[in-house]
Amino acid sequence: MVGSKNNKRTRLVILYSLASILLLVMVYPYLYMVLNSFADWKQVDKKLIPTSYTLQSYSWLFTGGESGIARPWLGAFFNSVIVSLASTALMMLFAVMVAYALSKLKFRGRDTVNNFILFHMFFPSIILLIPSFLIIQKLGWYDTYWALIIPKGMSLWAIFMYTNFFKAVPTVFIEAAKLDGAKDFQILYRVMIPMSKSITSVIFLFLLMERWTELLWDMIMVQNDNMLTLNVLLSQMFGPYATYPGPLYAGSVLLSLPIIILFIIFGKNFQQGMQVSLK
Amino acid sequence: MKENNNRLGWFFTSPYLLYSIVFFLIPLIWSFYLSFTNWDLIAPDFQYIGFDNFVKAIKSPSVHAAFWVTYKFMLVFVPLVSVMALIVAVLVHSLPRYKSLFLVGFFLPYLSSGVVSSLIVQGFLSFNSPVNISLRKIGIHIDWLGTSWSALFIVGLILAWKFTGYYALILTASLESIDQEVYEAAAIDGVTGNQRFWSITLPLLYPGFYTTLILAFGVTFGIFTEVYQLTGGGPNFATNTWQMEIFSQAFKNLQAGYASAVALLAAIATFISIYIIRKLLEMWGARNGWV
Repeated sequence: MVGSKNNKRTRLVILYSLASILLLVMVYPYLYMVLNSFADWKQVDKKLIPTSYTLQSYSWLFTGGESGIARPWLGAFFNSVIVSLASTALMMLFAVMVAYALSKLKFRGRDTVNNFILFHMFFPSIILLIPSFLIIQKLGWYDTYWALIIPKGMSLWAIFMYTNFFKAVPTVFIEAAKLDGAKDFQILYRVMIPMSKSITSVIFLFLLMERWTELLWDMIMVQNDNMLTLNVLLSQMFGPYATYPGPLYAGSVLLSLPIIILFIIFGKNFQQGMQVSLK
Repeated sequence: MKENNNRLGWFFTSPYLLYSIVFFLIPLIWSFYLSFTNWDLIAPDFQYIGFDNFVKAIKSPSVHAAFWVTYKFMLVFVPLVSVMALIVAVLVHSLPRYKSLFLVGFFLPYLSSGVVSSLIVQGFLSFNSPVNISLRKIGIHIDWLGTSWSALFIVGLILAWKFTGYYALILTASLESIDQEVYEAAAIDGVTGNQRFWSITLPLLYPGFYTTLILAFGVTFGIFTEVYQLTGGGPNFATNTWQMEIFSQAFKNLQAGYASAVALLAAIATFISIYIIRKLLEMWGARNGWV
């Protein structure tokens, strides 16, 4: 008896140690980034864990160091926030609308739309890049927020997720709401969205994260320094400024932090929503 | 009572319909049209050159590279990420407490931007980094991003790091849906340890595993950021993905017509490959009786 109890405890200790070590290895690159952003410049990329720290990297970001030319970090950060939030809001709104129609409204042509979305989803999107760039130019949107927000305002994946989820919502709830005189937008807002709270936080986080870290599209659509998103600005600094790795790490921290904070805020809902959406 | 929701249905789907016309159908047709021209993205006029772009693309060494690089990335990335995700999922699943805490921790890398992870890896592998200094001390010197095999491996590793936690979440969800009674019944029949994993867990995990594999194969067709940041497609096109090739031809060499032809070839290669991979995975599952 005592032996088996001890065995069980040993097994648990081993399991938790293994999981913790593995987790540490997986999270170490983030740690490396944060530590190096605060590290003395002599130690950046020279030590696995730096020993001497300074705020030089962060002040360099905003003053441009000895070059005196500060890169528009704050502006880029602001652009990223506006663009990501606006695109994500559009993606969420449209996904909910389309999914409601596809799952709960009977209308002629519904199956056709459904099939077309499936076809569209599996279509390799790379082929659309050049003509999309040309359409943006024709619309006069090049180098404006419109180019970064509007074309990125539709997510097929989100439509797909919401459609599947809404199908499981009993029609009784909708009929009850209709008897109370609710219009369809009210049904969406009062019935469907509250019922899909957990999956909504998962979809929101995935969409926001993907929009926040988009490189190719943002790189092609804008040129002006004042229009760059943070991810693109960081990417541009990569080459010629790579002699200053410290500030690059500081920029990386600025880029990573908001998403991680959001993730921690939504963390509880997220795990639950993930389980629901994978079933 | 039959409800007529025709107008409402079309109204609610109208955002998608509008998008698919402006940002899918028009670009699609435009892309076909461009691929038969020699347009350079700037000049106002250009000629129709028939299939010249396609002939040129099929003969181009960089397009050959892009074609094969996708499958080379699969060879590195897919086994790496599946094994890692499986290990994480089985490990986390066996923990009695703090499961979600660990899972959320493993998911963190998925939130990172490709630019950031590339930056970290570049610094980590720079000439005077602690890793390379200690390797040189024991007589090993590898130019990690300047050698074909290692550049491929490094990019594959970054992607595996990023996606492991995500796929582990999917696998954990399907592990949790396995009925414990199956294990109890098997234990009575004397099935234990390794045998238990291979003959019970793995087959019942197949639906989740199928999803992660399809997702993982799909990832290899869309690699851009890491390659753009770290290698620019080099050395000697060893990491030149489809996206990288199309980007360089269209926006660096300004050959929009030619790049459209390459994009069409890429789309065809992607479509056929994904189709074949799906069929092979389904056959694999059916052959073992897992479906």
